[in-house]
Amino acid sequence: MSMLEAAGVHVRFGDRVVLESVDLAVADGEFHGVMGPNGAGKTTFFNVLTGRVKPSRGKVRLGGEDVTGLSPHRIAAKGIARSFQIMTLFDEFSARDNVMMGLPEFRARGLDFVHAVAGDRRFAEQASEALAAVGLVEKGDVRAKDLSYGDRRALEIAVALAQAPRVLCLDEPTSGLGSDGVQRLAALIARLKGKLTIVAIEHDMEFLFSLADRISVIHWGQVVARGTPHELQRNDWVRRSNLGKFA
Amino acid sequence: MAAPMLVLDDVRKVYTRGRVIRRPTFTLQANLSLDEPGIVGVVGPNGAGKTTLFEMMTGSNAPTSGRVLVAGTDIHGVKYRERDRLAIHYHQSYQVRRFRKRIPSAFLTPSPTKMPLVHLFDEPQFNLQDGYIGFMLDFFRKLRDEGRLVILCMHPTAAWHLDILADIAERFLFVAGGGVAQIADFRGLVAEPSFRTYLGPEMTRAADALCQGSVAGKFDA
Repeated sequence: MSMLEAAGVHVRFGDRVVLESVDLAVADGEFHGVMGPNGAGKTTFFNVLTGRVKPSRGKVRLGGEDVTGLSPHRIAAKGIARSFQIMTLFDEFSARDNVMMGLPEFRARGLDFVHAVAGDRRFAEQASEALAAVGLVEKGDVRAKDLSYGDRRALEIAVALAQAPRVLCLDEPTSGLGSDGVQRLAALIARLKGKLTIVAIEHDMEFLFSLADRISVIHWGQVVARGTPHELQRNDWVRRSNLGKFA
Repeated sequence: MAAPMLVLDDVRKVYTRGRVIRRPTFTLQANLSLDEPGIVGVVGPNGAGKTTLFEMMTGSNAPTSGRVLVAGTDIHGVKYRERDRLAIHYHQSYQVRRFRKRIPSAFLTPSPTKMPLVHLFDEPQFNLQDGYIGFMLDFFRKLRDEGRLVILCMHPTAAWHLDILADIAERFLFVAGGGVAQIADFRGLVAEPSFRTYLGPEMTRAADALCQGSVAGKFDA
């Protein structure tokens, strides 16, 4: 059984069809890459998976359970965490506080923040674990806005990891990163691979082709190609392009 | 015998100017039949009417006279929301479903098919570097192999655009001078004097080289 499955997802905005019968089945522990030109419908597809856009047709299943059309927080509670193309952090808060706010137990306390932050060491420990996973444990007390761009990207992933998700959705995780930042992120993903089901939209082909188990190419709101990086690179035109050099 | 995939039966589109005295500003005529699934390349100068042709084929722009039949059904007589089950218009990266609603949908007929039969790609953005061309071309072939008619509109501005056309298209429509000519293959297209004029000297040389060079084997076979 697939950990994450989309079946016949269809989204229409006015007179534009953004997604048409998109299917996806991601196995437990698989790293699945999603690529496609700008405006092809990749982010909309992510928004359907994470509950921000309700599809007009089609189903999304997590571990076999139908989660179609649930609100984003319900879907997050069921185990799909995501990062965004544009970063969404609390800038004035420390890295650790940002991560703590992602902890499900912390969120369950609702507005009782004072007790939550002051009282419970457990949260801080869990947050430190998530920070350690992304290599930020020493920067736990640094305010998010004082972190470097690469560290902020890593912190976003730590926030997502703090939710103990079953599926991690990353929207262009390498965007804005320098080459060493991309390498660090690649090393992080390589560590998470196999332990977590990951779906990533990505434009950095070297990153995607070196890490992904399978890749779906979305264009015109449809899956126009799908396969392992090796399978996708068999195409003559792909070999002639920049993608060919990652064979 | 099954109906042809796409028929433009004496189709004529006239755009006019002026409310009292209507002076025609643009006329496009087409009379053609594409009987089988396949990949058809559409080329022609800017303003020749390629987009108007596409809009008429997908049911979003009604012809002044004549009929557009998709698998035997007049697409302009089909309910607006169901026309995409006959023909789909892809513009750059998304699909367009924009229809001028002249008659209430209740008076129109349902689509006889569930899946689109004709797929029209309007100047897809090809880029040699990013490798998507390969996936796009394979997608066109997949649609054809599933029994669909793929219509690909291109505006060749680089030699490799011609390479793509020669590689993928099995037949051609050349839109120019208010008409649509059906041409059997790439070599026939390149031999067309008005196509050569449209390409200009440099691109014509590239097209001739393609016909004579390695790709020529494909046509000789």
